[in-house]
Amino acid sequence: MFVPPLLTVSGLSKSYGALSAISDVSFHVNTGEILGLIGPNGAGKTTLFECLAGVQPASSGALHGPDQQTLDAHGRAATMFYVPDGIRPYPEQPLGWVLNFALGFFGGHRERARRTIEQLHLVDLLRQPVGVLSKGQAKRAMLAFGLLTPQPLLMIDEPFEGLDLRQTRETAAALREHADAGRTLFLSIHQINDAARVCDRLVLLSGGRKRGEGTAAQLMARCEASDLEEAFLALT
Amino acid sequence: MPSPRSPWQWLLAKEWRELWTSRAWWLMLVAAGPLVGLSFINSVQMYAEMSGLNGTADGVGQAFSPLVGVWAPTFSAYELIAAFLFPFVVIRLVGGDRQSGALKLELQQHLSPRTRVGAKALVLLAAWGLAMAPAAVAAVLWRSYGGHTYAPEVFTVVLGHVINAALTIALGAAAASIAEHPSTAAIMTLAVTVGTWVISFIAALQGGVWEQAAAFTPPALVEQFQHGLIRLDVTLAALTLVAMGLALAAVWTRLGVPVRRRVVESLSVLAVAALVLTACTRARANWDWSENRQNSFSEPDEAALLRITAPLHIEAHLAQEDARRAELERRTLSKLRRLMPNLTVDYVSRTTVGLYEQNTEHYGEIIYTLGGKQDTSRMVTTEGVLESIYALAGVTPPVENDDDMFRGYPLAVPPRHAAAVFYGGWPILAALGLFMTQRRRQ
Repeated sequence: MFVPPLLTVSGLSKSYGALSAISDVSFHVNTGEILGLIGPNGAGKTTLFECLAGVQPASSGALHGPDQQTLDAHGRAATMFYVPDGIRPYPEQPLGWVLNFALGFFGGHRERARRTIEQLHLVDLLRQPVGVLSKGQAKRAMLAFGLLTPQPLLMIDEPFEGLDLRQTRETAAALREHADAGRTLFLSIHQINDAARVCDRLVLLSGGRKRGEGTAAQLMARCEASDLEEAFLALT
Repeated sequence: MPSPRSPWQWLLAKEWRELWTSRAWWLMLVAAGPLVGLSFINSVQMYAEMSGLNGTADGVGQAFSPLVGVWAPTFSAYELIAAFLFPFVVIRLVGGDRQSGALKLELQQHLSPRTRVGAKALVLLAAWGLAMAPAAVAAVLWRSYGGHTYAPEVFTVVLGHVINAALTIALGAAAASIAEHPSTAAIMTLAVTVGTWVISFIAALQGGVWEQAAAFTPPALVEQFQHGLIRLDVTLAALTLVAMGLALAAVWTRLGVPVRRRVVESLSVLAVAALVLTACTRARANWDWSENRQNSFSEPDEAALLRITAPLHIEAHLAQEDARRAELERRTLSKLRRLMPNLTVDYVSRTTVGLYEQNTEHYGEIIYTLGGKQDTSRMVTTEGVLESIYALAGVTPPVENDDDMFRGYPLAVPPRHAAAVFYGGWPILAALGLFMTQRRRQ
């Protein structure tokens, strides 16, 4: 049975004056998959995410939902949620309150909260203000924030940034569990090995342009590479 | 299970928590006590001395009004707070979300930008209300000394400072939303504040259009309210400026909208505000809520003047910085303008100081034209001006009734316990609040 993509991105471009950050990028996100956005530093991954989420204006392009209707601001807010990298929101507030705010303000699923907090090892940090958390703790806190929101598509910029190996694996397992439960994930990852381990499909971005899209095997086959790193280097 | 609270309630709760944990706000609270206390203690001490305390000239202050002697100077501390402390609280609450990344998260909840900015403005207004607690303490102390309070005039003073705070909120919110960084927003806010002072300064030198513009600056607004006067035009203009600032903030918090579109929307907001401001200047209603009617003529004079319906033109040959012009304007013409809609006033002078015009033929003359008749006088006192107008209009001057005169409320009591309350108790309490809310961050 054909399941239409949850999100179709068509001809998305973003330029800052004469500088083109993203140029005519098109791809789709399938329902229930974990899609990875990979690319070297400066490829335009964060810009792409921010344009998709509507926190930065795109110069051109369109987003379509599963019914092929163009997504307006309301439709976008109902379809996707974006967790930026490197933010430390509400630094004075205890983490427990911040996660509760995520549930209340965005209308998230309260029954998922306990499991998510346990999966990301945040139980002991709930009384701590977000501002005093370490880099890794803050990253896990923001992952929990995103996972508690209700939108079917969750976009996370660098979900493993600042996490050690064990935490990365545990976080990857948590993300997979959420995907298996029906959440669609779109992750921007600059570590190729992490991306290969977690993602079902990949979009390869370099210099603001899409260089490839497909499973790791498809990308490797396209340039006859023996592993994804080689394919990455060949395509970017 | 969905949350029983709406996103708006969550947002309001979040803004309140953000304020409660803001160091800037607590520091403002700490400073508010001594600032208000200093003004209160000095004014009560002077009021007491004028009323005969410690053998000073008993009776000099017989006509003292608590509005002039105590409330206006006590509340003037809030002008300082609104200009130099409150903007940082506003910028912290509005710009903080942008700095921390919270704005990017919250923008993904499809609330209107007006709702978002409105929640912040409401919380900041509540914050200002709490910061006015030292003034409430001053009122309690004043009553405990046996001081007289006339509620309408105190209300007017409070209203003036609340509107002034709303202007600060709107300005700070707009600056924090437009600027990328809080320090830029702070500079923008202070630049506007200094700009209003420059307008007042130029108005004092040049008069004319500058003088009209200066009447709508926050210092002039507060001054009018501190005199117990509520002018509809100034109040509406201030509320328009508040709405304009908040609208600009709402426009610029939408990070996902192209800058060019935000600029166009901002220009539209400015254009609409300019139109409304122009319309506001036509509103003539005003209310003198001071107990001693310091903004009005005596009731018999008002009744006599209201009988004059013909257009009255006054041409005063007085330079901008001539003290006689200031007296004429403050004591008489400002009251006359409120009463007589058909009054027009022209000042004529070749210089701003007037010192070298004294020997010119007509300098110092005030020419009254009413109903085709003309009279010239050099008197700048209220009695002199009214005499000329009554003579031209053929109206019999009313007989002054001494029983109607404001006798004042002398009070020869020193400001007991005020120093302990404002310099000790209040800062300690506020500092304790600061410590308690920040302790969790250690």
